[in-house]
Amino acid sequence: MQFSYFVQLFLNGAVTGLGYALVAIGWTILLGMARLVNFAHGTMYMLGAFVTWYLMQAHGFGYLPSILVACLVLAVLNIVVQRLMVRQIQSQNLTSIMIITLGISYILTGAAGLFFGGTPQNIASPLRLLRFSAGEVRMTGQDLAIVLVALAVYAAVYLFQRKSRIGAAMRALAEDGKLAQLYGINPSLLLAAIFAFEGVSVALAAGLIAPRAPILTTMGFQEVILTFVIVVIGGIGSVPGALVAGLALGVFISFFSAFVSSAFALAAVFTTLLVVLVARPNGFRGGV
Amino acid sequence: MSNSANNPALPLAGETPANFRRVHFLVAATLVLFFIAPYAMSDSRVIVSYCILTAIMAIMSYGVDMITSDLGEVSLGQALFMAAGSYGVGVGATRFGLSPIATLFIAIFGALVLGALLGFITLRVREFMFSLVTYCAGVVAHEVVYNMDYLGASEGLLGIPALEFSLGPWSYVADNNIRLWPIVFAILLLTLAFMALFRRSVVGSEALMSHLNPALAESLGVDLRKTRLKVFLLSAPITAIGGWLYAYQRNYVGPDAFEPYFIMLFLSAVIIFGKRLLLGPLFGVALILFQEKFLSLGGDGNKVFLGTLLVVTLLVLPNGTLSLFKKWTGR
Repeated sequence: MQFSYFVQLFLNGAVTGLGYALVAIGWTILLGMARLVNFAHGTMYMLGAFVTWYLMQAHGFGYLPSILVACLVLAVLNIVVQRLMVRQIQSQNLTSIMIITLGISYILTGAAGLFFGGTPQNIASPLRLLRFSAGEVRMTGQDLAIVLVALAVYAAVYLFQRKSRIGAAMRALAEDGKLAQLYGINPSLLLAAIFAFEGVSVALAAGLIAPRAPILTTMGFQEVILTFVIVVIGGIGSVPGALVAGLALGVFISFFSAFVSSAFALAAVFTTLLVVLVARPNGFRGGV
Repeated sequence: MSNSANNPALPLAGETPANFRRVHFLVAATLVLFFIAPYAMSDSRVIVSYCILTAIMAIMSYGVDMITSDLGEVSLGQALFMAAGSYGVGVGATRFGLSPIATLFIAIFGALVLGALLGFITLRVREFMFSLVTYCAGVVAHEVVYNMDYLGASEGLLGIPALEFSLGPWSYVADNNIRLWPIVFAILLLTLAFMALFRRSVVGSEALMSHLNPALAESLGVDLRKTRLKVFLLSAPITAIGGWLYAYQRNYVGPDAFEPYFIMLFLSAVIIFGKRLLLGPLFGVALILFQEKFLSLGGDGNKVFLGTLLVVTLLVLPNGTLSLFKKWTGR
């Protein structure tokens, strides 16, 4: 087997993994900063992809403006979800929050089916047509965009968390919400910002990743699992951890699919997660 | 996080004997009417099928009820146990020609093994971690089943024979819904009796204590992990028996057993009328399936309806719709 084949596998895995990491960044922040979960995250990914596709197909929007509008739509939707659950969030009633977001996920799946139909669709991204190659190793413009945007988003979030006043306020909220409130931090506003960020990031991820394969309104469940694995293995709330975990996961899936079985790749990932959970029930960093 | 003050659905402690008798009478009357319904309307295949599906789905919901209402966790992997029951029938009956009693043992044994495995893995995780692990287990099991030829892969296993019991010269073949009904109803009654006994048992009390106040439960000597595992192991076979019946009712088992629809149905059924109500899941399933069968909005429309029902109930009436009735009647 040629060396270039391994390089290609690694590259494919890295692109896929950074894509996963981009999907997971919103959840990492939501869980790390607000100690909250959103089971509709995968469905939000589906919705982000379909809003992008719909704007391009039905209204003739360009690829980039469509993604931007999808980000806006998902941000507003996530703020609405947060406002609906104010009482449950205040009482940290995670059981109710889980079931409510699961219900919202089901509503969105049904509504998307009614509105967008059940036919698989393709997002005609112009970046797919761009081709780069070095010897026998190839990459599309879409792949390159995923890598660059994922790295840029992670760098921006990391710096924002560490260097900005809002980032410090978010860390304070995660540390001790009541004390943060006494200090003058408005938790409601911060929570809305965190939810909005989750919506924007997942829509951005969908806009970049979804053009690589046909999209369906029933998708989103795998995304929840992969996001969960990344968040737990990377360490709950850890931004660099999520990036490394996403990358590692992508490379693992790429090699496992090529040399063992593509059908059982997700099962293998989950087995890894189980081993981690048995050894370290709260992930590598603990905390929650 | 949760405490008894948040759970007005906790039952019957302060019931007067008259109220208690009235509740028992209502439960018995409801069940008698439910039993008679398919015979009274046996001309309508839709109604017979509605009754039988309601009973089977309700049996499976009681497994979820035990974990959600008593243990206070949300198991999203209950489809795994349902599939253990259904595939126990599929493999046992179509590959080895086993009798229903033998497939029932396979279903229960399979569910116990899976329950023990999942219970062990989730021993030290709670809340969203517990839910996500169980959710992942369901999705991964779907992937495995979908790709295994032995389990029928994406096509599933067709040709499951009718449920048949024989004792010497006597035999009973449940080759249609109306003949299957007494068996399904008997298992529903056994499930209800089991749930009522569980809630009065030491394990039931320990589960509730570890849900409402884990610290206090531990200080009183309750082993939280053991309790969780026990409840998990009690709940798994209930759902598996429902899956076992479902396979015989459809004469088929396939990867659609892992559809998110089922977990949404079970959770909604448990929550809509209020947790820890003996007939709550039965009424919940009856309501949801009524909408699907008689007031259907199409596949996607039904999803919107079911999701909305669940979300609105939890947002507006977190203790279930029956709490509204109790408020109105002042009880």
